[in-house]
Amino acid sequence: MEKLNFILSGLGGQGILFMTKLLAQTALNRGLKIMAAETHGMAQRGGSVVSHLRIGDVAGSLVRAGSAHILLALDENEAYRSLPFLTGGGSLYVNAPARTLVRKQVLSYMNRMEMTCRFFPASETAMELGSPMAANLALLGFFAAFQDSPLPGHELGRTIEQASPDRFREINLKIFNRGFERGSAEREQTRGL
Amino acid sequence: MMHQDIFLGNGAIALGLLEAGCQVVTSYPGTPSSEILPEVVRLVRSEDLNTYVEWSTNEKVALDNAFAAAVSGKRAACCMKQVGLNVAADSLMSAAYMGTIGGLVIISCDDPGPHSSQTEQDTRLMARFAKVPVLDPCNPEEARQMAGLALDLSEEFQIPVVLRPAIRVCHARQALELREIPRNGRKASFQKEPVRWAATPKFRFLLHGELNRKLKEISRRFDSLALYNFHNLTSGRQYPLGILAGGVPYAVVKDILSEEKRDDIPVLKLGAPYPFPEKLAEDFLNACDRVLVIEETDTVIEYFLRNREKVLGRLSGHVPSEGELVPEMVYQVMDRVLRSLDLAGLKESGQGDAVELVKALNLPVRKPTLCPGCPHRASFFAIRKARPKAIFTSDIGCYTLGLNLGGVDTCLDMGAAITMASGFYHSFAQDQIDQPIVATIGDSTFYHSGAAGLLNAVYNDARFILVILDNQTTAMTGMQPTPGLGIRADASRGKAIPLERVVAGCGIDFIEVIDPYNIREMIQLIKKAGDYVKDPNGGIAVIIARHPCVIAYRDTAIPEKVKVTVTDACVECNFCLDRFECPALYKDETLGRTAVNQALCAQCGVCIQICPKGAIIAV
Repeated sequence: MEKLNFILSGLGGQGILFMTKLLAQTALNRGLKIMAAETHGMAQRGGSVVSHLRIGDVAGSLVRAGSAHILLALDENEAYRSLPFLTGGGSLYVNAPARTLVRKQVLSYMNRMEMTCRFFPASETAMELGSPMAANLALLGFFAAFQDSPLPGHELGRTIEQASPDRFREINLKIFNRGFERGSAEREQTRGL
Repeated sequence: MMHQDIFLGNGAIALGLLEAGCQVVTSYPGTPSSEILPEVVRLVRSEDLNTYVEWSTNEKVALDNAFAAAVSGKRAACCMKQVGLNVAADSLMSAAYMGTIGGLVIISCDDPGPHSSQTEQDTRLMARFAKVPVLDPCNPEEARQMAGLALDLSEEFQIPVVLRPAIRVCHARQALELREIPRNGRKASFQKEPVRWAATPKFRFLLHGELNRKLKEISRRFDSLALYNFHNLTSGRQYPLGILAGGVPYAVVKDILSEEKRDDIPVLKLGAPYPFPEKLAEDFLNACDRVLVIEETDTVIEYFLRNREKVLGRLSGHVPSEGELVPEMVYQVMDRVLRSLDLAGLKESGQGDAVELVKALNLPVRKPTLCPGCPHRASFFAIRKARPKAIFTSDIGCYTLGLNLGGVDTCLDMGAAITMASGFYHSFAQDQIDQPIVATIGDSTFYHSGAAGLLNAVYNDARFILVILDNQTTAMTGMQPTPGLGIRADASRGKAIPLERVVAGCGIDFIEVIDPYNIREMIQLIKKAGDYVKDPNGGIAVIIARHPCVIAYRDTAIPEKVKVTVTDACVECNFCLDRFECPALYKDETLGRTAVNQALCAQCGVCIQICPKGAIIAV
């Protein structure tokens, strides 16, 4: 793997920064170089939040529009908003209740650009397990099950274990693992087709 | 392999300061600088250092304190956001003339965009204005090294040095290799020298001459500061185009050229742009027919280049003069310039027509809003209800978002809620117009620069209502303590100075404290305050709306949680959505009325009081 650019997008309070941190730390543990850029301050209060993460030998922390390989979005509208970051052939993993995007013109654009789009009801999953604010971990687990992820699920899991405060460790891991199971199931299904 | 840890840029700066033996660090929080001091505190604790830290009450106070430490021979730093340096400018200008004994670095963090500031001003120009050297890092690791370099330079030349990291350095994350942090045992001493430390204008003239000599010498040093000021020219070769860049844009340019494999375009990096490395820049310009300058956020390098005919940049219209130079923008600028000079352009950017596609989707605008349960929301609602025709002067903090509730008409700078209120009062009073005015200011902002304006307003008999929104923290910048709490930067106990005491000290006779969650009482109180303001024997009325921030005091801010719901009595008047604007209230299209998003609701129960139809009830 030479360079891999991530965009993580969602709304203030959804845990985009934590998700970025987990990916970055796991990459570092693998001996990879990382650069990341975060949103703080006024922009964080309920507004759109975008985090950039670059793995590999890079100088700048920002992902150039049209050069993200992976877009992880915790909100469907924010996924659309961040779409210009995604490069042709890139992959979108989106927290969406339905198994399709609401805006059809986006799907046709993504097909034309040979992009992959995977849906996962991360919020519902987190809610089912009793921690509605942990949709970020559910989506991260889902993503980790696929080939796009340069970071194996068990390594991400170990980082979550280390980075979670005591009172959230168990539930965080549970939610991450549930996402990973769902992702693995979908991966197998796609392979079977 | 050495142990590596991921650091936020601001943490890297903290690390660099301590590695260089910095003994005193002062700061006033402000995005994007706020994390530097807490990171210093964390490292001081983990490495068992004796570095003194303080949250100062404002940036000028912070700089004066750090300056005294440097004059006593210690290594000192003071950290702020770029507009904070305006507050500290008085101190900076004079400190440049007087110079230092120990190293003094002023860290002023820029915010191109702007993302969280009132201007996009360029700290490098402030450094030029004050005649002090400035360093401009391109990533966290370089910021760490430059923090140390700044202290070394400062001490060698006895001059304050400015470090200017931009937001993409401050809030970038990078893995840094850790090494041992030495303890600096240097002791304080003060050599009396009135011609320097208390110089009269006659001696100031001499100090100015001395400063100019220092700058000349440092400029020559910057010509050969090969770690941060360098180019990749092949000697003897002439180039059609070269690029000059510093700070964050340098990293962007470097990535683009390396991705595009363009080794035909040389780059001069200027990480230490002032005092300008004249010789180095001249060599570069001589080897290039044209040069493109890519710098943030204003024109510093560009101003210093003598042969203007060769220079493409902001002044020639090739680089946008406002906004952040994000990679896609730099890409576009470079591509356009290359093609205009008949050179090969850059390859396809990989970006389809997604920008137009997204525009056509008309996505909901996500403007920042006050959090669910925020006590400021209750305050603004009550203020607007009680004084609908007032001018609402406000200030800088989370509560600027009272804009969304129609409770904020002005926001100039720190403390201007009060000074603009008195200014409005006198302007209208001069014409015999009785214009109601309600000013809102946060607790931290009041301690920062509210009191001077309030003293002035009382002294000059202005009349308005001042509501101090006391959420007992500096919320917007990440929950730093205020002087009202008596908790210091390192969590040790300090003396608490209650707002009531400061306000009384400013000559205010009407001081009432209220919990804004109680909207009805708050409305009554504002009306009472309004009567006092109008009374010939009255004056300025101060209401302290005190309720802890629901984020900073997550477990205690709402002692009695109230689960709410919306009943069929809702007539879809949208009053709550427009005037209360809580993120937990939304229009449910299937139910055909307003509903509560229980995942977001803080259960403060305040909205029960505001529905005109009584449709919001406790469950």
